Amino acid sequence: MSSLQGRTLAQGVTLAPLSEDVEEWGGAREHDELFELNFGPHHPATHGVLRLIVTLQGEVVVEVKPIIGYVHTGIEKTAEDKSYWKVIPVLERMDYLSYYFNAMAFCSATERLLELEVPERAQYLRVIHLELNRIMSHLVWLGTSALDLGAISIFWYCFREREAILDLFEMSSGQRMHTRYFQVGGVIEDIPRGFERKLRQFLKVMPARADQYADILNANEIVLQRLRGTCPLSAERLLALGVSGPLLRAAGVPWDLRKATPYSSYERFDFKIPVGTAGDNYDRYAVRHAEIYESVKIIEQALDGLPEGPHITPDRKVSLPPRHELATSMEALIHHFKLVTEGFRVPAGEAYVPIESPRGELACFVRSDGSSKPARVHMRDPSFVNLQALSEMVRGSYIADMIATVAMLDPVLGGIDR
Amino acid sequence: MAEAQLPVSVWSPGEDVVEVRRAPAPGAARSFTRAFLETLRGLKTTFARVIEGPVTIQYPEEKVPVYPRFRGRHRLHRFEESGLEKCVGCSLCAAACPADCIRVVAAENTPEHRVSAGERYAAVYEINLSRCIFCGYCEVACPFDAITMGHDYELSDYDRSDLIFTKEMLLAEPLERTPLRREDE
Ligand code: SF4
Ligand code: SF4
Repeated sequence: MSSLQGRTLAQGVTLAPLSEDVEEWGGAREHDELFELNFGPHHPATHGVLRLIVTLQGEVVVEVKPIIGYVHTGIEKTAEDKSYWKVIPVLERMDYLSYYFNAMAFCSATERLLELEVPERAQYLRVIHLELNRIMSHLVWLGTSALDLGAISIFWYCFREREAILDLFEMSSGQRMHTRYFQVGGVIEDIPRGFERKLRQFLKVMPARADQYADILNANEIVLQRLRGTCPLSAERLLALGVSGPLLRAAGVPWDLRKATPYSSYERFDFKIPVGTAGDNYDRYAVRHAEIYESVKIIEQALDGLPEGPHITPDRKVSLPPRHELATSMEALIHHFKLVTEGFRVPAGEAYVPIESPRGELACFVRSDGSSKPARVHMRDPSFVNLQALSEMVRGSYIADMIATVAMLDPVLGGIDR
Repeated sequence: MAEAQLPVSVWSPGEDVVEVRRAPAPGAARSFTRAFLETLRGLKTTFARVIEGPVTIQYPEEKVPVYPRFRGRHRLHRFEESGLEKCVGCSLCAAACPADCIRVVAAENTPEHRVSAGERYAAVYEINLSRCIFCGYCEVACPFDAITMGHDYELSDYDRSDLIFTKEMLLAEPLERTPLRREDE
């Protein structure tokens, strides 16, 4: 009936064989039936509206089927009906923990179609915000995952630092989430006065805070019991399933698009790719935790080397003219009218641009038919692809370990359902 | 898992890889002492936070100040001297809105009935705030600085229809001012 009969699990538990002489096993009788459990969609441990149909044998997971689609928004379809600059704030709302990455993928794809050069200052500003966003996303992941394991103080600590990052976002872009800061050709505004000072303060504090998380979690006996050695999956299987990001790196594959195919000046920054060795839940935790330090390093370098220059392309066919010109220059006013009402036209063609999001390879495919609205926008969302590895990871482990694995998978349902 | 085991030859980052530290296996020989000491270390970390004082604030008595760029509820503006409305009903903001939540119906100014400084004015100007995504494109689009994003963030109401803000509501001064931070605070 089940492939798990008589198998020794990672935890050293042997399952009762499901045969006629099951009586010999004494109390095993009550465990020989399969039990189907509906887990979610509204459950705090699913990290969103994810529904899992779990088949259990006793406490051991035999099969998991994720059911998705509860927050389907049709954003990709909506994007076909909007001019390029209006797509950005809509598209940002897919994966609601990595909005800068969503915007970056889309803007890069559009820039490739336009063959547009992004000014260096804009590239650096993008890197700063992308890495801040990565830390922020990892903090939310760490806080909520630790909560799933039963540690509540980590949750407060992570959200305290997240608050500092959101303050920085508010300062530079005016909004804490879904900032629409990235625009095609650069960023919409330069960073304000005082931003650098505040960012440096944060960069000084963050590594010390990450050390504190490590002090609480790294060798805590409960964390070790819940994470170490649980639900590993080999690099071969992860690659075959298309998994990317920290999950793949935890299994020892140093695949990071920031290094493999550098974009937005990433080749100029010195940082390391943290990789795991065993590919279990503990490595998944350790890799993301180590990435926080690397992101801090990248931001420091970007801030030190921040070049002077324009923050958005001076190409008036694409970017809005500066506001002060509107009152004085008729030409600027005409460009402004044209860009706001119709938007810019993009030459016909297709572009697919992958970037490294906190969850893996986030890519945007844009097809243009030469008009001012994209003919098709598709996002390859890492959460969606990574979710299919869940079933292979948790088969044959305890249901409690499944909770830990879902947490370490870090799925964001807004990105999965789109 | 070494790279050599991989079915495909993957690109190699060379020196730029660090292996994360593995923790000791649970339940090993020194597990008991370790569990005890690590718990103490965790407690030390949490207790050390006590002297840092609370970071929370007592909302709603105390409000979080916003940064100058903060995009809260919209405001429509008038010229200070003449009292005329800045909005000329050109509908550029409505054209820029990704959520299609602005409705502008323009009308001609007449010498007897002059509302705005331009030729035309907005007879109807409505923003459906229950649809608005606070992207601020309307502010960017308006060539006359007639609409800006204000600083108010307390927008809840008992009825959805109350969230359709009319021109009068948008022109009025907010009842309570949201505290504002200095730019470099
Ligand atoms: S902020 Fe954005 S969504 Fe809201 S009214 Fe303005 S343009 Fe529309
Ligand atoms: S607010 Fe500005 S953009 Fe909108 S109709 Fe009035 S003048 Fe035109």
